[in-house]
Amino acid sequence: MDIKIMHLFPDLLNLYGDKGNIECMRKRLNWRGIGCEVVPFTTEDSGFELSDVDIVFLGGGSDREQKIVCRSLLEHKAELKDFVENGGSLVAVCGGYQLLGKYYKLKDETIEGLDILDIYTEQGKGRLIGNIVLEADFLKESDKLIVGFENHGGRTYINGHKPLGKVIYGNGNSDKCGCEGVMYKNVVATYLHGPLLPKNPVLCDYILTNALKKKYSDFTELVPLDDRLEKTANEYIVNRFK
Amino acid sequence: MRKLLAIWVGKLLTLAGHIIGKKSSSSPGEYALRICPDLVRDLNKYIKKSVIVTCGTNGKTTTNNLLCSALEAKGYKVLCNRLGANMLNGVATAFLQAASITGKLEADYACLEIDEAYTRIVFDYVKPDVMVITNLFRDQLDRYGEIDITSNILKEAIAKVPGIKLVLNGDDPLCVQFGREAGAIYYGISEKVLPQLDDTKEGRFCPVCGAQQKFNYYHYSQLGDFYCPSCGFKRPEIDVEVKNVSLKTPMRFTINGQPMEINYKGFYNIYNIIAVYGALEAVGESTDGFEGLLAGYKPQIGRMQEFAFKKPVILSLSKNPAGFNQAISTVNTDDRKKDVIIAINDLANDGRDVSWLWDVDFDKVKDENLNTLTTTGIRKWDISLRFKYADIMPDFITSDMKEAVLKALDTDSEVVYVLVNYTALFPTEGVLNELLKERGNE
Repeated sequence: MDIKIMHLFPDLLNLYGDKGNIECMRKRLNWRGIGCEVVPFTTEDSGFELSDVDIVFLGGGSDREQKIVCRSLLEHKAELKDFVENGGSLVAVCGGYQLLGKYYKLKDETIEGLDILDIYTEQGKGRLIGNIVLEADFLKESDKLIVGFENHGGRTYINGHKPLGKVIYGNGNSDKCGCEGVMYKNVVATYLHGPLLPKNPVLCDYILTNALKKKYSDFTELVPLDDRLEKTANEYIVNRFK
Repeated sequence: MRKLLAIWVGKLLTLAGHIIGKKSSSSPGEYALRICPDLVRDLNKYIKKSVIVTCGTNGKTTTNNLLCSALEAKGYKVLCNRLGANMLNGVATAFLQAASITGKLEADYACLEIDEAYTRIVFDYVKPDVMVITNLFRDQLDRYGEIDITSNILKEAIAKVPGIKLVLNGDDPLCVQFGREAGAIYYGISEKVLPQLDDTKEGRFCPVCGAQQKFNYYHYSQLGDFYCPSCGFKRPEIDVEVKNVSLKTPMRFTINGQPMEINYKGFYNIYNIIAVYGALEAVGESTDGFEGLLAGYKPQIGRMQEFAFKKPVILSLSKNPAGFNQAISTVNTDDRKKDVIIAINDLANDGRDVSWLWDVDFDKVKDENLNTLTTTGIRKWDISLRFKYADIMPDFITSDMKEAVLKALDTDSEVVYVLVNYTALFPTEGVLNELLKERGNE
């Protein structure tokens, strides 16, 4: 078995250690004897071929970098939308999350989004910065706390979408709105930036399982790994805010 | 009168701090400014020759202190915020500590290290004659937002001081952008020295037009011989130029053809040294006998600081990915068998966000000379996890730096490196000094 991950614009969207998420997916596949190929797609690449891609990763960048990405990605809006609607896995973090919506309204301009999710973002007053803890009800009881770090000026309104989790500590999609991120088909979109997956191995495995199930109809579940270190790191953050 | 009161209160607080064993680099200034907000503006007038400010993500404490000691070696009286307290309170503390109790100040030069984010505020009080900008890397993102924001703050600050003379790292496109209108002095390293690392190149996009930049060669991060194929922005003519670099100890290189031999570790120190050279030129001081001017400088704690146990323990402070990558590559140039201890904290002065750990090439810590690896600090689990995903399992994970050092001292390695981030530095230095007293070099 093997999985192909397309990392969109690693040269531009790499603001907060996003490569931690890629490394985490790669390693957790390899440790189980599953192959993993990561292909970058940069502003210098032409052609945009998603047919053999299992997971698309879209990270975060500064506003300036995000604008460059947006110009380039809008050309491939239809392909990305098809990919998602057909059950392809898409992980979008921070700026990447905002780009999936209808638009991102800044102070003096509005950036058009990819319109993959029925959400929109507006620049708010000040940035929402800090550690954050979520409760995700799609994960099993003992592992349902997701921890991370958020740092965003945009406030995202998710209309009828299901959030990634309920905010236990921190801000989330907008000031004290109580929810964070979006789950839609096999899309996981979140403000929790950078190395989100290493400290949340269950979420990482959830994403990998979805991708494997889509690619291999007889696939059932991943074999467990020794996640004691990951869980300790996760619990350390949770316990800080208890 | 308010001014005198402010100075007295500040001096008393400094004295009280000394009695209870605190370094008091910032709080006396804080209280003094509450009493007399104009204190710094007023004392600034007594500087006879020039005020030189040093900013930039990495190397500013070293550059500032090195500059101060070079000027002192020339016989000048220099005011300096030597302890690296680099916001307005720290600057006020340096001024009031240098002032007499009658409110006068005798100094030829002021050498001030200023936090980039605070330049805009500090320049309302202090009008520098010269400003050195060492580099701009990713640092403490949760505090400053992104690197573009820092650039904009610096531009605003520079615009507040007409006629300011800039001394800029000519290898850093993000620094060079500030010199586009003024006649700046540029320093740089004009040859390929290091193997090309695959580390974060945050300034890879042209700060002028946003297109992807190209490099004829690059040193680390975004430093190198850069050019923009789209708008023509490129590495400028270099005024203080380094060539013929040898990184063995002592380091050897030439500055504008003059050979130098300097007993420092680390490629990045060449930048600190030539920034000082450029600053001396900017204030019209001679650079004759430059090597000798540097000889009196004692590095601040944690700048590859060596502790003489039975085997050397070397303490190194890094605050961001670029700094850690440089520290790791310096550790790798040492081919002795070594133990490595890494401490990561996430207090306010470190930056609360530890995501940057994933932007450091920690996998390079593992080379044939690595004996044991220990992780510690408040975020010991995060750094351990970072190593796990680089296929290196730490040998020890502990909350106790003393235990970590004792374990490393007892192995059969030849040297111990302790790499720490900011708030771990002073406690670690304390542990090492205490152990040195207890055990000496037995």
